[in-house]
This record gives sequence, C-alpha cells and structure tokens, in this order.
Amino acid sequence: MSSEEAVELTVVARRAGVRIALVRRYLEFGLFEARPGPAAAPRYDPDSAARVAQAERLRRDLGLNYAGAVLACELLDRIRDLRAGR
Amino acid sequence: MALAYTDYYAVLGVPRDADQDAIRRAYRKLARRHHPDVNSDSDAEERFKELGEAYEVLSDPEKRERYDRLGANWRQQEQETPDANFEEFFARQGFGGAADSADFGDDLFERLFGGRGGAGASGWSTGPLRGFDREAQLELSLEDALEGGRRRLTLDGRDIDVNFPAGVRDGQLIRIAGRGGPGRDGGPPGDLYLRISLRPHPHFRRRGEHDLDVDLPVTPSQAALGATVPVRTPGGSAQVRVPAGSSSGRRLRLRGRGLPRSGGSGDLHAVVKIVVPKHLSDRERELYEQLAAESPPVEASA
Repeated sequence: MSSEEAVELTVVARRAGVRIALVRRYLEFGLFEARPGPAAAPRYDPDSAARVAQAERLRRDLGLNYAGAVLACELLDRIRDLRAGR
Repeated sequence: MALAYTDYYAVLGVPRDADQDAIRRAYRKLARRHHPDVNSDSDAEERFKELGEAYEVLSDPEKRERYDRLGANWRQQEQETPDANFEEFFARQGFGGAADSADFGDDLFERLFGGRGGAGASGWSTGPLRGFDREAQLELSLEDALEGGRRRLTLDGRDIDVNFPAGVRDGQLIRIAGRGGPGRDGGPPGDLYLRISLRPHPHFRRRGEHDLDVDLPVTPSQAALGATVPVRTPGGSAQVRVPAGSSSGRRLRLRGRGLPRSGGSGDLHAVVKIVVPKHLSDRERELYEQLAAESPPVEASA
C-alpha cells in the first residue's frame, strides 16, 4: 500500500484516464477497496489508478471480461509476491 | 517511415499456409504470454507490439496477400492509405506516441481483435487509458546511494534524467511519474519504477539490511596491546579503539555508521584483521624470537 495520501474516486478515474463509471465497475468487482475511514467520504489508495488501468488493458487487449481481468491482476500480484518471497 | 522487413509468420510461429483460425489462435496465445502487464521481460513491450503488427497484417486477407507477394516491399503501395501507417496505428492503440483521432482506432481495433463473435460487446471497447507502469534497475555505488544525485538513463531510446534522494536502499523502488508506457487515446502515461541495486563495494560488505562490515587491519602488537586506529566509514573515516588482546575476526561495532534506514542508520562493524609484516628488520626478528620464547603456543581448541 502506498504511503501517499488517499484520493477520491474521481481522482482515481482521472489518473487512470478512464470514466468514473468504469472505476466504479472495478470497485464492485473488488479490484481495489476504500481505505478505512468515514463511509460518507470514501478515499482510495493512489495506487488504485495504476491498478484500474492494468485491469482495463488486460481486459481490452486479451478479450477478458471484468471478473477475468480482476482475477488476472490478483494472480499477477500473487506471482510477484511469491517471487519476492513474501 | 522505413521499417526492416519482419517475417510475420515467424513472429506468430505459424506456417505460411496457416488458415485464419490458426493465425488467430497463435496470436491470442502469444498476446497473453507477451502482454507487457503479464510479462516483465524488458523486450515484452516490443514483442507485443510486433505481435499486433503481425496479426494486423496476416488476419487481413488483402494485406496478407500483398505481404506474401511483395515481401519486404509490400508496404510501399500502402503508404498512401491511412491504415497502413503502423506508427500511427500503434500510437492510437497506445504502444507508440500521442494519439488524437477517435473512430479510426475503434475500427482498426475491431479488426485487430476480430470483434465479431469474440468476447462479446463489452470485451473490446477502446477510449483513453493510462499506459502501463515500467520497472527498470538503477545500479548505484554505495557512495552514490548515500549521497543521492542524478543519473541519465536511456530507456527505449529515450534519455531520462533521474534524481534519487540521499540514503536510498538496495531494493528500494523510486517512482518517476509519467515515465512509464505511453497512454492510449490521450490517456495519461504510466509511471516508471526504478529498483535500486547497490553494486558490491571494494571495502564494505553488506551485512543484513542496513549493517556493513569493513576490514580493520592492525599490526600484531596493536592487536596484543590495544590501540586506537583509523577505520574507513562510508562517509569518510573514524577512529576505533581496538581492545588489548583482539584476535583476527573480532567485530567492533560503530553504531549508526552503516546504511541509512527509516529513523536512523544501521551499524558499521570493523572486523579486526591482524596483518603480519612480510619482511622483518634484524631488530624486529630478534624481538619476535624473544617473544616466541616467552609465549606458550596457541592450542588448537583455543
């Protein structure tokens, strides 16, 4: 998790270069989560933008659906962790 | 633009008489394997781009026919039609440079991935999208890592000036915003992550995460009688007190003189190394002989 300041969903969308509806969609699929805090004003890890963009590239380029793209991201994370011995 | 001739059949690993199904299957399999988000090899981006080019030509019967017939020169006739310009094509798909137009890309993308009967309407959309994050290694000497500074890196033919802060650690990631893969359709570029890799040092040896070892050469008499001797530290030098009766291998800790870490620094360990003079003067030899007569021999178990 990044130590940078948490951001709003609109910022995640802008940094990922996509519409906010798409970001909400990935949020529903559990690609990333809100940081702990007041539910009325949810904030997200700034790394979420890169994560959304990665899932979306995989979805578009490899013909995955949303669930498949999220799964691919999670598996890629897992592989990276295993390689790093975590 | 002039591109070297590329054997698109070899790129996709299919025979020259492969049918469209075989070409599509080969492309999809290789695209999964070499996608820059999946494959961390440094040439994955280039390879993926090449796959896209190969598939774009071989999946289109007209282009394929021209390519088969004209070989290296097949593209010359195409220069006048817009969709033959690959640089433009890949800029639009996000593998090249800036992009500006919209529907042209959609159309090509549809063809590139054979939209009909593929993964369904939701699968192949386009639109602005941030580029992928790139990772590269930045090798530094210990001194550079301690002092911080500036480096010029060349990545994919582009020069990038990078400032790194003082006290970077081995394995640390430094984010350089906007220096990753180009965005697609006007999306923002990804970030570049530099992984710091410390080069082995001629004097200091890493010991765990933040501690360093350094040899501390002393004479036999300094080791026997004790002495205060200079020791090399990462930032310069320091004085260290060698207690009387120190054998080789004894570790003397200099607290906080190792590598930086959050909230302080690791320790430097000066490792005593008794250095015996190679040549003795007559007087020295005489004294050593007297000493030898006085001292009991070292026991094997000691």
